[in-house]
Amino acid sequence: MSAERSIEAVSAVPAGAGQGFRALILALCGLVAALFVGSLLVGPAALSPLESLSALVTGRGEAAVLVMREIRLPRAILAVLVGASLGLSGAALQGYLRNPLAEPGLIGVSASAALGAVIALQTGLAAAHALALPGLALAGALVAVLLLLGLAGPRGGAFTLILSGIAISALAGALTSLVLNLSPNPYAAADIVFWMMGSLADRSFTHVWLALPLTLIGWALLAGLGRGLDALTLGEDAAEALGIRLSRLRLALVIGVAACVGAGVAVAGAIGFVGLIVPHLLRPLVGARPGRLLLASALGGAALLLASDLAVRLILPERDLKLGVLTAILGAPLFFHLIYKTRAEAAQ
Amino acid sequence: MTGLSLSHLSVHRGPCPVVDDVSLDLRPGECVGLIGPNGAGKTTLMRAALGLIRHKGTSSLARLSAAERARAAAWLPQMREIAWPVSVETLVGLGRTPHLGPGQRMGAADRAAIAHALSRMDLAGYETRRATALSGGEQARVLIARAVAQEAPVLIADEPIAGLDPAHQIATMRLFSGLAAEGRLVLAALHDLGLAARFCTRLVLMHRGQLVADGPPREVLTEANLARVFGLRAYFAETPDGPVVQPVEVVA
Repeated sequence: MSAERSIEAVSAVPAGAGQGFRALILALCGLVAALFVGSLLVGPAALSPLESLSALVTGRGEAAVLVMREIRLPRAILAVLVGASLGLSGAALQGYLRNPLAEPGLIGVSASAALGAVIALQTGLAAAHALALPGLALAGALVAVLLLLGLAGPRGGAFTLILSGIAISALAGALTSLVLNLSPNPYAAADIVFWMMGSLADRSFTHVWLALPLTLIGWALLAGLGRGLDALTLGEDAAEALGIRLSRLRLALVIGVAACVGAGVAVAGAIGFVGLIVPHLLRPLVGARPGRLLLASALGGAALLLASDLAVRLILPERDLKLGVLTAILGAPLFFHLIYKTRAEAAQ
Repeated sequence: MTGLSLSHLSVHRGPCPVVDDVSLDLRPGECVGLIGPNGAGKTTLMRAALGLIRHKGTSSLARLSAAERARAAAWLPQMREIAWPVSVETLVGLGRTPHLGPGQRMGAADRAAIAHALSRMDLAGYETRRATALSGGEQARVLIARAVAQEAPVLIADEPIAGLDPAHQIATMRLFSGLAAEGRLVLAALHDLGLAARFCTRLVLMHRGQLVADGPPREVLTEANLARVFGLRAYFAETPDGPVVQPVEVVA
């Protein structure tokens, strides 16, 4: 028994838990920068890389400048904003709930924001005013947060938060189905279905300016949670005795996730799997420390969404492949692999 | 150095009191064993004393702000939770949380405290091991090391030695009495009456939420108290290694 135990115990935390963290962050920053530039260079307009970049920087060449500054640049910026929000939120929720299966959609904000957007599409408000759809989506997210805080209460634990999130998601999902169900014409229904798949195509700086303030507020709230999430490794009681104010931490978490994920859904639709898979992939590289995982996951999420958004343009440029479809197709097999690895480790 | 004083502390779960009007004054330098059968209210008393749950009456620790309390008292819960496969060193380092300002990194003093705690718990060489891959008893020692690394004047531990092998049980109790001898206050809930009698300077006996005896081990572990509170008959002896208390039979 003890011999078995000690063999198992030899498995050390891989190097990279300590000084390797800075190298990892630098590598992820480099990856995000490279993919960002890559994202600027790919699109239906036939522009050479040199033309694209010089148009972006110098502002010479009318058509090229329009393409770069009004189409490709906002798209790439949104990929970074939304991807980082999903990665960061996923890491924060997994850390708080001490559960690797948590993801940003868990607290019901994504489903409620989607419901708001669907109502905007269904009622024709989205067609009448460009900001109606993201505006109603944000309103949906806000209702979800208020409901969540009301249901889970200021002192409730992780369990009530999960239950409240599931209940809100279920209700918002049912209402979304109801809207689809009652949709008078198939075109509106198709519009809604396509919107819900999530995409960054045809977004403008209006979307960036709409999403940016809330996204930054969300990031700021979540970035401050590192120490508390680290302490939660020991459980809620021990963390509280270490001086972590859990009710405050939970409030910052819920509002932070709601702000940045709600803003993301409002401009890009619901994009799944990024917030689940990115923290999972990066956890071993940060020595499993929840606090360090926050920054790493934010960068990883931005990189994954930039790469996916590049892929939808490269794989089927003429078919408007939806971003959310691709992330799910990429994410699910990755998840299978992780399950297989976890099972193999458990069997050792 | 801080002690712990409780005055008329009560905790109610619904209408019935789980801790019933407990007043207690614990001083630095004492190694106090909190004993009593399951459900006597030991855990609840300790959590209330720390201000982690709602209570009536006062506790000197619960009056402090969260940050002050974390520097004044280390709390080792009974549930041994290690949520992520972090390294042993990282886990023990969490004990330094109350000593770090916002955004401040660990310094030499923090690292020394971690190394000291690891060596005191016989864990030198375990630094880079994955805490979740250790055996249950090893994990318990890592978590005790975390509380020791906190270097708080008060250490409150809930069944810290349950599940340890006999040698590490004795070593841990020796560590606790050593911490007390350094001028700290150690309050530990214990089920091993023999180790409690040998290593604690004072025992506090709880029964159905009430404090029923408080004093030196030999005055608390009387035949009458053991029969009334635990329903036990025990063998008592004085040896060169200290008092021996061995429960031998259940009495009706």
